[in-house]
Formats: sequence, C-alpha cells, structure tokens
Amino acid sequence: MDYLDFIDTIQSIADGVLFGATYALLGIGFTLIFGVMHKINLSYAAASIGAAYASLLILAGFKVPPAFVFVLSALCGGVIGGLVYWIGFKFIPLNNPLATLMSTLGLLLLIDEIVVHTTQGVPLAYPVLFSDVIIPAGPFNLRGDLIFVFMLGCICMVLLLLLIYRTRLGIATRAVSQQPVASALCGISTTRVNILTFVITGVLGGIAGAMIGAAIGMLSPLLALPLTVKGLIVCVIGGLGSIPGAILAGLLVGGLENLFQFWRGVSERDLYIMLLLFIFLVFRPGGLFATAPGRD
Amino acid sequence: MLELSGLSKHFGGVRAVDGVNLKVGRGDIVGLIGPNGSGKSTIVNLICGLFPPTAGNVLLAGKDITSLPTHIRVGMGIARTFQNIRLFGQLSVWQNLWVAQNSDQHRKDGSFLKRWLGAPGAARAEIDRTLEFFNLEKKRDELAANLSFGEQRRLEMARALAANPSLLLLDEPAAGMNAEEIEQLDERIRTLRKTGITILLIEHHMELVMAVTDRVAVLNFGQKIADGGPAEIQANPQVREAYLGSSNVK
Repeated sequence: MDYLDFIDTIQSIADGVLFGATYALLGIGFTLIFGVMHKINLSYAAASIGAAYASLLILAGFKVPPAFVFVLSALCGGVIGGLVYWIGFKFIPLNNPLATLMSTLGLLLLIDEIVVHTTQGVPLAYPVLFSDVIIPAGPFNLRGDLIFVFMLGCICMVLLLLLIYRTRLGIATRAVSQQPVASALCGISTTRVNILTFVITGVLGGIAGAMIGAAIGMLSPLLALPLTVKGLIVCVIGGLGSIPGAILAGLLVGGLENLFQFWRGVSERDLYIMLLLFIFLVFRPGGLFATAPGRD
Repeated sequence: MLELSGLSKHFGGVRAVDGVNLKVGRGDIVGLIGPNGSGKSTIVNLICGLFPPTAGNVLLAGKDITSLPTHIRVGMGIARTFQNIRLFGQLSVWQNLWVAQNSDQHRKDGSFLKRWLGAPGAARAEIDRTLEFFNLEKKRDELAANLSFGEQRRLEMARALAANPSLLLLDEPAAGMNAEEIEQLDERIRTLRKTGITILLIEHHMELVMAVTDRVAVLNFGQKIADGGPAEIQANPQVREAYLGSSNVK
C-alpha cells in the first residue's frame, strides 16, 4: 500500500466515523426503548426519516431559514414518537413478545407508505449546512457538513447522557429499566416513563433524520429500511440497553462501513457489516457493553 | 387504616388467598404469619396492586383503592419492601432514596430546576436522616449492587421509608439476617412505631413477630385461621397444627 492509498484509507475511515454519529443516535433510540420496555421498536428509523420529511414540508410551507430544519425535525420526531407509542404500544398486549414487534413493523411500513405517497417516491433535496467548508488537517480534508453533523450528534449525546444520569427524570427512567415492579412501588408511573422515553427518543430520531438528510444532501424513502438494519446492528454490537455502547458501536460501524466501501465498493460494504454483526453474535453476544443482569 | 374485606385471589384452580378479612388500625404493628405458600406475599401484592384480586376489596383510610394502579397507591401512603431484594442496582444508594421520595411532598422545596437536578434543602436533609437511621450514610455514593446483603436489606427498608408512607408493608425483612442484625431490625421497628406509622409485618422469625407486634393474623391455605394478641396466637391449637402438623403426630 503506497502513501496515497494510506491517506485515502484514513480519510474514508474519518468520514465514516463522522457520519457514524447518526448511526449512534439511531442506536441510542433503539437501545433506550429496549432498556425501558424490553421491546424493540422496529419503526424507529422510519419515524426518524419521517420526521425529517415532515420538517421539509413545514419548511416549504412557512418561510423559515433552512437552519431551523433541525429544530423542526426534532419537534416532529417527538410528536411522531408519542404517536408511535400510542398506536403501537398503548393498546397492544405487552406480555406477548411478538405483538409489539408486529405492530411496530406495521408502523414502519405505514410511515414508509405515507412518505412515498406524499412525495410520489421522488427523493427530495435536503438543506445542507457548511457544505462549502473544507477543513484541511495535514494531508486530510475534513468536510464541513460532516463535521457539523458530528458535532451536533455529540451535543445531543452529551445532553442525553446528562438527562439520563443527572436528572430526576433520567434516574426514574433507569429505575424503571432496572426494576419495573419496584419502581412502581416507589411511586413512579411506569406508563409515564414509557411515553416520555418514546418522546425523547423521537426527538433524538428527528435530529438523526435531519443529520442524515444534511450529510447526504437528500432524503429518500429508500433510506428507512437500511437505517433500521444499521440501527439494530449498532445496538446489538453496543450491547442492548447500553447507551455508551450504542455511541461507540455507531461510530465503529460508520467508520468500518466507509472503509469497506473504499476497499470493496458500495455493493459489498453491507456484507462486511453483517459479517461484523455475526462475529459479535458468536464471540461476544452481549455486545461491547453488556448491561448488568438482575432485572425482574 | 387498612381494611381487607373478603379478599380473594385465585391462580387457576389454586386459591392463594381465599376470603380474607383483616383490619389494621392506625399506628398498629400487625404481624401476618403462616406456613410457606399460605398466601402472605400474595396479600401484600394485592394491597400494593401488583395484580387485581379475584374478589373482595382493599380499603386504605376508608377509601376503596382496589382498582387503583400501584404508583397511585404509593402516592396515597403505601410502601413496601420485597422478600427478594429488588433495589435499583445500578443507581447509587442516595439515588435509590431520591427516586423513591414523593415529589408532591417537596413541591415547594427549591425551584423546579433544583428539584429536577437534585434534592434541595429539606428533601436532602430527609434522605440524609433516613440513611443515618439505617447506618448507611457512609455508603451513600456506592452502587446498590455493590452493597453487602445486610446493607441491601437495610437499603430496601430505607427506600420504602423515603416517601414518608403511612402504611409500611414489610415482606420478610429478617430473611437471611443473623441474630445481631435481627436485633437491630427489632430496634428500628420499635423506633418507627413512635413516629405513628402503621406496619404490616410478614415474617417467619417468630421471636421478632412476637416481640414487636400488637396483633398477629395467621394464614393457612389462603384463609385466615386466627387473629389476636401474640400470646393468644401462641396458645392457639389451630395455629400449632398449621405449623407443626396435626396434633396426633405428637
């Protein structure tokens, strides 16, 4: 491998890690809901893309500066998150392990259909911020839009970690995820914590959706399914229920994905990510940070 | 304070609790004893609302709470400990108490943000007092999962008291404790009695039950077979039979 190849390899990893912040956010969303309810919300990535689409519609309807698209997407994500709980969880028997899997799968398809019907399935351009900024770092170039996406992702993650580990609401959320019965006996309303978790992860997903739009420069309904798979892979590799795990795994998957794309081309890259998942499932099924046992 | 009327819980064909009537007066310490599988823990679960009864009612301070969800009942003043310890293992000792505090009782305590980010003023002092009472003040920042068994048992009771309950349900608090720890538990229950709290004590350890309770109710196969003062219960032939087998074995 000559010097230029080496530089390109590092460059592609760096780009991938920066984009990986979006995977990290999606992984956190899956993992948080799993932690609190012990349920997988399959519609999460689709809802995130849906929120980004909704923000575009609002942007087109009202004359607001494109920078607000992130705020709008976050708000839409929160609303959609609440709706997903209401439709997909509230009336569904939670003690049936397959019921919510089916209801959220249905929601995934529903959200996808709504997006396809409102946009005729045509990809839409998404406002890109700082795309003309290129930060040279030695022999490497760091893309301004990716840096922005990465920074935004980091800010969200720090705020989320503060919320979960430092506030009363966050402590209550963790109490519910560790001991649902005992937390009800500490006066915590499990239902309220569940709804709030859906809204908070929805906000996170909305931001992730907008970040994906901003990083790629467009939105397409075709994004929903691959992102669902990536999000699930990230939370399995990170360790189901672990937020630090999801962050690390998101960056890891982002970096490796871009590396494989650089080495083997876009058609093969997902194959290697799947292989990575397989390796984890066989040799480290608990993920990078397996959550502590002892939940009732 | 607490009244159970005709309370029943059937699991399939098993009558875990079968038409139990029980009255616990304010400030009383009532023991609930019976052989294994006699329905003691099921009664506690019914009082907390972990599952609905098949028949009968639970009344708290005259109000029918039979159909209320658990966290609402807790807000009305019920607290309990678990037979198998169920602490929030990944939270610190202090956080275990903080999360269990009744936020309504501290509504005027500091600003909203202060209450959200920590326990201000009176709430903090209260947690500190409770930790001291249970001799846990040195462990306040330790994760609950890292405590010793005896400390975890104490933290269970401390957490149950964090919300200032009026009715405390203790589900086998002495299980697995050594003589010295039971002695301390005995003392703590006596101290708590002075605060006017009502306690329903479920326990196998007869010495403890007979020492601290005003009244004892005995369950066997889901039915109440005796109810009276400790001495009276000890002399009751039906109770002896339930515990030791029928008298002709002797």
